[in-house]
Amino acid sequence: MIGYILRRLAQLLPVLLLASVGIWAMVYAIPGGPVGMILGENATPEQIAALRAELGLDRPVIVQYWAWLTNALAGDLGVSLHSRQPVVSLIGERLPATIQLGLAATVVGLLIGIPVAVASALMPGSWLDRALSGWSALALGVPTFWLGILLILLFAVHLRWLPSASGYVPFWESPIEMLRNILLPALTLGIYVSGIFARFLRASLVAELRADYVRTARSKGLPERDVVGRHVMRNAMLPFVTIVGLMMANFIGGTVVTEAVFTYPGLGRLLITAISTRDYPLIQGCILVILVIYILINVMVDVLYAYIDPRIEYA
Amino acid sequence: MSARMAEPVLSVRALEVAFVGSGRPVPAVRGVDLEVHANEVLGIVGESGSGKSVTSLAISGLLPPTARVRGSIRLGGVEITEADHETLRRMRGVDVGMVFQDPTTTLNPVFTIGRQLTEGQIAHGRLRADAARTRAIELLREVDIPDPAGRVIQYPHQFSGGMRQRAVIAMAMAGHPRLIIADEPTTALDVTVQAQVLSLLARRQAETGAAVILITHDLGVIAEMAHRVAVMYGGRIVESGPVEQIFARPRHPYTVALLRSLPRLDGGAARLEPIPGQPPAPANLPPGCAFHPRCAVARDRARCRGEEPALRAAGPAHLSACHFAEEVPAPSAPRAGDGAEPVRPAVRRDSEPLLTVENLQVHFPIKAGILRRRVGWLRAVDGVSLTVHEGETVGLVGESGCGKTTTGRAVMGLVKATGGRIRFAGRDITSLGRGAMRQVRRHMQYVFQDPFASLNPIKSAGEIVAEPLRIHGLYDEMGGVGRIARLFEMVGLSPSMMGRFPHEFSGGQKQRIGIARALALEPRLLILDEPVASLDVSIQAQIINLLQDLQRELRLAYLFIAHDLSVVRHISDRVAVMYLGRIVEESEKQALYATPVHPYTQSLLSAVPVPDPTLRGVRRRIVLEGEIPNPASPPAGCTFHPRCFRASARCSAEAPAFLPYPGLPTRAACHHAGPLVPAPDAKHPQEVA
Repeated sequence: MIGYILRRLAQLLPVLLLASVGIWAMVYAIPGGPVGMILGENATPEQIAALRAELGLDRPVIVQYWAWLTNALAGDLGVSLHSRQPVVSLIGERLPATIQLGLAATVVGLLIGIPVAVASALMPGSWLDRALSGWSALALGVPTFWLGILLILLFAVHLRWLPSASGYVPFWESPIEMLRNILLPALTLGIYVSGIFARFLRASLVAELRADYVRTARSKGLPERDVVGRHVMRNAMLPFVTIVGLMMANFIGGTVVTEAVFTYPGLGRLLITAISTRDYPLIQGCILVILVIYILINVMVDVLYAYIDPRIEYA
Repeated sequence: MSARMAEPVLSVRALEVAFVGSGRPVPAVRGVDLEVHANEVLGIVGESGSGKSVTSLAISGLLPPTARVRGSIRLGGVEITEADHETLRRMRGVDVGMVFQDPTTTLNPVFTIGRQLTEGQIAHGRLRADAARTRAIELLREVDIPDPAGRVIQYPHQFSGGMRQRAVIAMAMAGHPRLIIADEPTTALDVTVQAQVLSLLARRQAETGAAVILITHDLGVIAEMAHRVAVMYGGRIVESGPVEQIFARPRHPYTVALLRSLPRLDGGAARLEPIPGQPPAPANLPPGCAFHPRCAVARDRARCRGEEPALRAAGPAHLSACHFAEEVPAPSAPRAGDGAEPVRPAVRRDSEPLLTVENLQVHFPIKAGILRRRVGWLRAVDGVSLTVHEGETVGLVGESGCGKTTTGRAVMGLVKATGGRIRFAGRDITSLGRGAMRQVRRHMQYVFQDPFASLNPIKSAGEIVAEPLRIHGLYDEMGGVGRIARLFEMVGLSPSMMGRFPHEFSGGQKQRIGIARALALEPRLLILDEPVASLDVSIQAQIINLLQDLQRELRLAYLFIAHDLSVVRHISDRVAVMYLGRIVEESEKQALYATPVHPYTQSLLSAVPVPDPTLRGVRRRIVLEGEIPNPASPPAGCTFHPRCFRASARCSAEAPAFLPYPGLPTRAACHHAGPLVPAPDAKHPQEVA
């Protein structure tokens, strides 16, 4: 099992290496480049040459890439052009907040999505099924910024139960404060993904319920809760974990709108700011970190897959 | 027959099941009475839509919520039609155990065999969780699974098909139920494995004294297993009685027709007598006797059309639901027509064969690892030689995975031969380019097994048949729509059906469309890959007769690929038997079936259930041990030696050559080839009495 995880990770090294080339080369694909960005339009050729030398841009491309790569591997992603702070520490401030929000939103999505899916799959075509399908459509259809604002109006402005602006409070410092801060953004994102979760799980549950092994399980006299809760659920989980993994990966860096509504200090907003100010080292760093997490989540999904389905061997 | 005196284990009275949906209720079962006693096997025979499976689901209370049940089902003192969910649940696995058709899908892939064997008994509170493993090992031992302690923690995909079905039987018997319902328990299995599973089922039934309901479409299985038989048609039992009487003196025209439509291992060469039309759909039953539109006895009499016949006595313990049961002919009586096979022009073997396959090999690479390196070869076809002459049918038989389909596909150029030669009409076609091969395929066409999957659902039947003409740019040249209409007539379909879509046709009609499509380009050779395997018995005979008529009219050559030895015997001139990618025996049909010399052919033939209960216990049966090995790692020497009852030390060391057998028109690949009589020294074979 451990060996399998290590092998899967080793298989991803070439992917990561290839991606790093892309990320690094991005700087050169855009007209102007970092020099023009820093010096502005009225720079003299001498100033440009001096800065290029300072940034190391006058060296051969391979050498530059190698230097960037070795630095990145050593944990040095350069310095932000804008704030002059190390990129690693800028990302380091935001990453825990982003991970915390992503996990919380996933938990909310599962808490809503799984019961909805199970209830509607057990009674396909019933009024409950139709009502719950309506819920899924609504959850997917409502824009997150609008839902976020509604939640702020209700819980922060009207009821005054929760803060309207959500800061990052680490769980281990104050669980209650953390919950108060994260509840609204997590609800906003969680309700959205619960629609996706419910749809996917319902579809695979309905398909599995028709399988022959369900009839066999019933013919043994198993109670219905075991038939559904164990036999059917375990099989239906296979396609479902893929979707949950994809959505979790999506929460890393992909929640800009929600972060903006709640002024939440996440990685998404950092990346957007970096892009709008053409802060190349910061863009590179953010994308690299997002990519690494994405890949890690995928390995986790693969491991879960092999755990759920014995036909997939740890090989 | 002392069991008959005692209280029956199961008693069904006036059972009616209808499915309600948006339209009017669809009657699936219409008034079924039956009882089963301890120590008794009741066989229920019927074609698709006869209501046999719905009856079994009603008995176990497993019908979907859309079913409406009337009548009475009494099992062990409980009235099932009135029981609540919890009572039914407590009954399942305790009073009744079930064995279903396909062991690959009836087991849950994500749980161990051991857990699935015992979870029912644990849920019933009849087994403690800490004793489950010991009990599961015991259950596997009872169904002869080797190394039960190691197997119990394995998952279904680590079991072979036959072992899975053994496990399912063990599961059904885990709670010592008084009644076992086995619904087509061997239909998905190969014939040698079927023989193992049937003898296991018979042994466990005798050991436990359980009552068994055996549901099947296979009259051979019924003849070997059942004590009493109920024949179902159109949702009712049309005949029931002791198995010997049902086969010797059937008293319902449908039973007679079924027996007559069956190609048999022990039958003559007479033309099959199919039942005209098709089994009725439950939603669309004919009025009066449901069988009258297809009946040879009814002769359009008003009583058959207007009045549904009740079951009445037709002999001791023998019931028939026919107004004219006395007129029903014996199954062996002379038939309506002269019955004999119309004279076929003799096959001329002196000329060059139309198709010659020499030492054909198809090896697929097995790849593994990150870089997908080749780690071995799967020898799907490993040295097959055969010839097919004009107007001749060569049968290619074997169990699943023996390479018969791959052989057919390699001849068509659909998979690439990795070795050997293929000659067609005097030309080497082994390594032709795409364009040249397309020209060859004009004369060589393929008919697929599954008529449901092999027709494009969004094209009309006419378009499907016309497609080969269009691909070859010959549509107008060969007569356009007139040609298509002629093709429809040739396969017995009305040209007025050309505009219909595949879903509007029955299974047999779809296969006719598939044959018409194959005939469109006037080919000389048809490769027929299990063309009747998915059809009902009565429809099977129609298609076989059609193929024989077409061959006679068009001088077609057939390469007939099938697993069913009876069908192959009926249609073929010569037969080749395949095992693990090789032909082990090849001969004229008569010689091969009368005097097989290869032990595999002998076992295969002895394993086929014959629809004649009087042969039960008389006919010697060789039950092969084990199952077909993995073709990726075949045994050394003769690949059959681990299962062979004649194997010697030489067999495991040296692969036998494919040589003529003296005195017979036979070639065989066996170091110890020879007829079965005198009896083989009983080293391995399990003789089943």
